Amino acid sequence: MDKRSSKTRYQLASNRKSFLGLTKESALKGLFGGNAFVSIVVLGLITLFLFKEGAGFFGQYRDSLLLYRQSGLEYVELMRGQQNALSALTRYLNSIRSRQIEKLAEEGYDFQESRAIMEESEDFFYDFEDLAVPLREHVIEANEILSAARDSYQEMQNLSEHRESLLKSGRQDEADALEIREIDFALFFDIVKSRESEYIKINENLIRGIEGILPSTPDFGDAELQAKTERFKELAEMFIEEVSKFEENVLAWERSRPVPISEAFTSFIFGKKWVTNSSIQDWYGLIPLMSGSLLVAMVAMFFAVPLGVGAAIYVNQVARSLERDLIKPYIEFISAIPSVVIGFFGIAVFGTLIREVSGWESLAWIDFFPISERLNAFTAGGLLALMAIPTIFTLAEDALNNVPLSYKEASMAMGSTRLQTIVRIIVPTALSGIISAVLLGFGRVIGETMVVLLCAGNRIEIPRFAEGIGVVFEPVHTMTGIIAQELGEVVHGSMHYRALFMVGLVLFLISLLINYFAQKIVMKFQISRG
Amino acid sequence: MDTPAVESHRGDRNPSLIRISDFDFSYGDKQALFDINMDIAEHEVTAFIGPSGCGKSTLLRCINRMNDLIESARIDRGKVEVNGLDIYDERVDATELRKRIGMVFQKSNPFPKSIYENVIYGLRIQGINRKSELDETVERCLKGAALWEEVKDRLDTSGLSLSGGQQQRLCIARAMAVGPDVLLMDEPCSALDPVATAKIEELIHELKNDYTIVIVTHNMQQAARVSDRTAFFYMGNLIEMNATDQIFMSPDKEQTEAYISGRFG
Repeated sequence: MDKRSSKTRYQLASNRKSFLGLTKESALKGLFGGNAFVSIVVLGLITLFLFKEGAGFFGQYRDSLLLYRQSGLEYVELMRGQQNALSALTRYLNSIRSRQIEKLAEEGYDFQESRAIMEESEDFFYDFEDLAVPLREHVIEANEILSAARDSYQEMQNLSEHRESLLKSGRQDEADALEIREIDFALFFDIVKSRESEYIKINENLIRGIEGILPSTPDFGDAELQAKTERFKELAEMFIEEVSKFEENVLAWERSRPVPISEAFTSFIFGKKWVTNSSIQDWYGLIPLMSGSLLVAMVAMFFAVPLGVGAAIYVNQVARSLERDLIKPYIEFISAIPSVVIGFFGIAVFGTLIREVSGWESLAWIDFFPISERLNAFTAGGLLALMAIPTIFTLAEDALNNVPLSYKEASMAMGSTRLQTIVRIIVPTALSGIISAVLLGFGRVIGETMVVLLCAGNRIEIPRFAEGIGVVFEPVHTMTGIIAQELGEVVHGSMHYRALFMVGLVLFLISLLINYFAQKIVMKFQISRG
Repeated sequence: MDTPAVESHRGDRNPSLIRISDFDFSYGDKQALFDINMDIAEHEVTAFIGPSGCGKSTLLRCINRMNDLIESARIDRGKVEVNGLDIYDERVDATELRKRIGMVFQKSNPFPKSIYENVIYGLRIQGINRKSELDETVERCLKGAALWEEVKDRLDTSGLSLSGGQQQRLCIARAMAVGPDVLLMDEPCSALDPVATAKIEELIHELKNDYTIVIVTHNMQQAARVSDRTAFFYMGNLIEMNATDQIFMSPDKEQTEAYISGRFG
């Protein structure tokens, strides 16, 4: 008895071999625990880093907006808005003219004959263009004066920074030799402001001029051109009404109005312009990028949700085991294709194909066909759908798989068909799992970079949603795309650099929210199963 | 029915409703049933007993073609007739058949819907949506399943909120709503406590008047308590089928006696 127990004890002891004071078990525990710890720390660091780099943005942006206001460039921008509206009018007129030239050429007139015919309308065109000149010159002059002030202000800023660094390195003499002036914006602005009466007079002349010239629009004797001319008249009258509004805004503008930090915040979150390296003012507005991202994602989900969920239902409920063994790995394999290859395919094949198809005569009844841009939100969205399908498929299939077989049996045993069972029992039971699959697919699409960078067209403008479905064929830029495109070229620590980090932060928050809700929904699913 | 009953019996018998003859059945390469011949009489409770894997559940699932759902399932020989109709004839619609032959499963499986919706599911899939008819069915079936008094005030709560025994009675009510002639019960009490089991057994007694019942059970006392006739299966063979009293008092076959006396199984 004693002998045996001692032997047992001996064996127990020999099992506890240790290396550097670590047993096998605790080493394993340490290894896995360490892995988990490292991933948590890394995630925390990433979050911290994003916040740290992005945080300075709003302060910088506010300073920039403040400078924009104090230098009076904002004032000029208001007048430029009016000038742009006028230019749009001129452009419309030009489009009528080029259409007229086209028509004449189609009808077989040669150059000399065309010129003779166009003489009458030509006069009207030139007269109208001349009307725009005084306003344009006024804006240019004002801009020159104020830009000069702003530029020398920035130069002085740079000089004083230089002086600081000289002082720091103890080179007092050189620092003293720098000539640093204070720039008084008020001085410059008063010059511009004093010419306000001129601006009012220009507007009076402009209105009178347009009103005077409108009745003498040329008579083309052609239905299409005539309709365009009528439209031009309408637009011109609208412009006349707008002039007083522009003027009101210009006169009411105040240089001394402060720029609160909230304004920097709102003009980032709700800003409609993303303009960088501008000679006048940089704008960092999220809306064009966000709307681009959402538009692409919507297109992608439009295709990926029915296909992914449909395939999951088919594979899980209908397919024979041979089909299942074929389809499942095949769909899951799609996610193994590198996104740059998909993007390349989009440029080389898919985009061209879409444009070709949109040019078919049999599709001419669709009012936004043929499309002009090969690379647009639809191209990118179509390809992103391809990348979202495996995610949605796999997760939805899991959710369907989690529906107890007994539900299916009970339903079938009451004489329901396979389809009725799927529609009334299986899908409703798995619905929350399917929804969270869709959400995670959406997260995948929103975060995807390479495909949108290559295929979305990269035009930074808010898509014209008012135009209906055709909006999906407009080129867009996205939040992910802009970071990938611009981050490599910006000056480290500049406002632009920080703005890109803020965009990244917004993306991060979106992903976080999506994942949070997906998990919430899945949890609800588990509870309801009892 | 011109063919004589395959096994001997004593006393009065109700006319046969289900006739299984020369029936061989396999899952893939594995044969599960060998040459089964039996008659199941109308308005009787027939119990299938036998050790695990003896094929009793498989045979039960052949009666309403639930085995169609299993890809590898295959009938090698023989046929199953209900009311003289070969149910594996290709002209027979399995969904119509299952409306006539209801089934209650081992584990209670109410849908994650309200009690009300659970009961009328079978009507909904037939496109019946008239409120008065649905209400009437719910009350009738829940009463039939002896559940009405317990749940009449909370018909719109989830079927999953009921206790195990109540859930199983809800499943019986749900099966009754479609208006079947036959109820197949696959070990309906195996997951229930003795009190709930007693209630279900009592219910089976009452249901006998309206339905033909086939019950698979592991519990030999249960078979003795509820059934009129008992069939003993072993290794895919029907060893013996006879009046329940006969089986439990003086079985013809040695294997049957060995099983019911607890020497194996």
